[in-house]
Amino acid sequence: MNLKRYLSSVLVVTELELRKIRHDQSQIWLRVVQPALWLTVFGVTFSKIRAIPTGDFTYLQFMTPGILAQSVIFVAIFYGIVVVWERDLGLLNKLLSTPAPASAIVMGKSLAAGVRGLFQAIAIVILALIMKIDLILTPLSIIGVFAIIILCGMCFSSMSIALASVLRNRERMMGIGQAIMMPLFFASNAIYPLSIMPDWLKVIARGNPLSYIVDATRSLLVTGDLSSLGIDMLVICVTTTILVILASFGFKKILS
Amino acid sequence: MTEAIVVGNLVKVYPKVRAVDGISFTIPEGETFGLLGPNGAGKTTTIRILLTLIRPTSGSVSVFGVDALAHPNRVREMAGYVPQDVSVDGEITGYENILIYAKLYGMPREERKRRIKEVLEYLGLQDRANSMVNTFSGGMMRRLELAQSLVNRPRMLFLDEPSIGLDPNARNAIWELVSKLRDEFGTTILLTTHDMVEADTLCDRIGIMDRGKLAVIGKPSELKSAVGGEILSISSQNPDLAAVVKELGYSTMTESSNGTAELLVVNGEAVIPRLVEDLRARGLEIASVSLKKPTLDDVFLKYTGARIGEGGSWTQARLTRRTFRRLTR
Repeated sequence: MNLKRYLSSVLVVTELELRKIRHDQSQIWLRVVQPALWLTVFGVTFSKIRAIPTGDFTYLQFMTPGILAQSVIFVAIFYGIVVVWERDLGLLNKLLSTPAPASAIVMGKSLAAGVRGLFQAIAIVILALIMKIDLILTPLSIIGVFAIIILCGMCFSSMSIALASVLRNRERMMGIGQAIMMPLFFASNAIYPLSIMPDWLKVIARGNPLSYIVDATRSLLVTGDLSSLGIDMLVICVTTTILVILASFGFKKILS
Repeated sequence: MTEAIVVGNLVKVYPKVRAVDGISFTIPEGETFGLLGPNGAGKTTTIRILLTLIRPTSGSVSVFGVDALAHPNRVREMAGYVPQDVSVDGEITGYENILIYAKLYGMPREERKRRIKEVLEYLGLQDRANSMVNTFSGGMMRRLELAQSLVNRPRMLFLDEPSIGLDPNARNAIWELVSKLRDEFGTTILLTTHDMVEADTLCDRIGIMDRGKLAVIGKPSELKSAVGGEILSISSQNPDLAAVVKELGYSTMTESSNGTAELLVVNGEAVIPRLVEDLRARGLEIASVSLKKPTLDDVFLKYTGARIGEGGSWTQARLTRRTFRRLTR
């Protein structure tokens, strides 16, 4: 199978997922509610008590990139459940009987999770603007953030699909999703800087891909200091690639 | 004639079970071949191996001369598949369901449009093409699944329990379509079924499958005449019936201690009066006697020693399918 055909298979699977969203857009807006509450309730309160050192920036500025990333991973981390569900419905067998390779199907699905995240990200940025949170919005920073959001969705949805190939049912996936989500979010720089963490937690947070996603988004949207963007993007791309490969290998196991 | 499928000594072993246990068969191009057997006989596993979804433990598979183990992709390009479970997506329209599959088979745009229109018309779905699939009835979903599997004009069509869970009308509609496919387009079809009538109606040849093995292969008519006579069912209030009948020298197909027996007889109309007299002479009161031509069920009984419906697991499969359908709503 040549590369062109492979990529077109990836995009067709993504198209399938996007067509579902187009028929039911409410799911996107409902998923914006929680991050919106983080900004308006948690963010507004914490910026009043000034408990968290955020340098030259307001707390709301600081946390907006964190909430952006959070809104994407909280959806992506449960993506494996969708895959297990589709297996139970018999949709996957049929997809795999087409010439599209399993890895193209996985990549298409994880890309769809990324694109889905994009809609949420746009809604959150609009909300941030309404709340008069000062963000750097240049064509370059917007394109950069979009790319990071898509990678973020791909990264965590393939992690979820890889987990689904081991856990193989919805209940366990629900459990593991809940279990991972909390440390993933709080052991990262999403809502407070690494500098206030105890040393052992810093080590964990530095190994957390979310920290790099948030750092990259933050440098583009808030600080404008792009010195660590290169290393951030490298870590994000490598992690995503590894997880997509793991998910592709695991995908057929979900079926048997 | 070209051989569409050649399967040689196929084996699939799972940790706890030999799902497919050394089967071999050949399907010539243009034939409708049925694998008939109860659930758990290994039919679906066989189909999935032929579709390159599962790798066999050992054995060989060739589809139109292509080694399926070495070139799975070339096999998929020419295959169409309708799985046992509902496999259409309820959250998009009927048209979109077909469109996605047409694209996955890499069809150019113009050809795609034309073929989607063709299959929608062929399956009588053009009026509902733009409705969401979760508003479709079970029969319409099945037709849409057929439409999806036909859009790439497969040389080889795999149907896994094509009419399971459908009401009689929808079932007849599917049967007509499947027969038409063979007659008009010469499509080679491999179907699995536990439904005797379906196998009899649709298939040119049948392989009877039980516990991973093919018990016998043949034309339905041949298989039925191979049973060697007609089936005479007899019942009585007297529990000794079966024993007495055997004593009289008749060969029984089935017998039970509650006073019923099925006998295999030749020239049954002439046998009945003699049998009734013989039994009366031994003091046995007869409640009823009936005579029927052998069905595939009797063929199944002859070769496997059990009736196909006895496991009851197929009813479970029906229920499962119904549950799945509800879930897609």
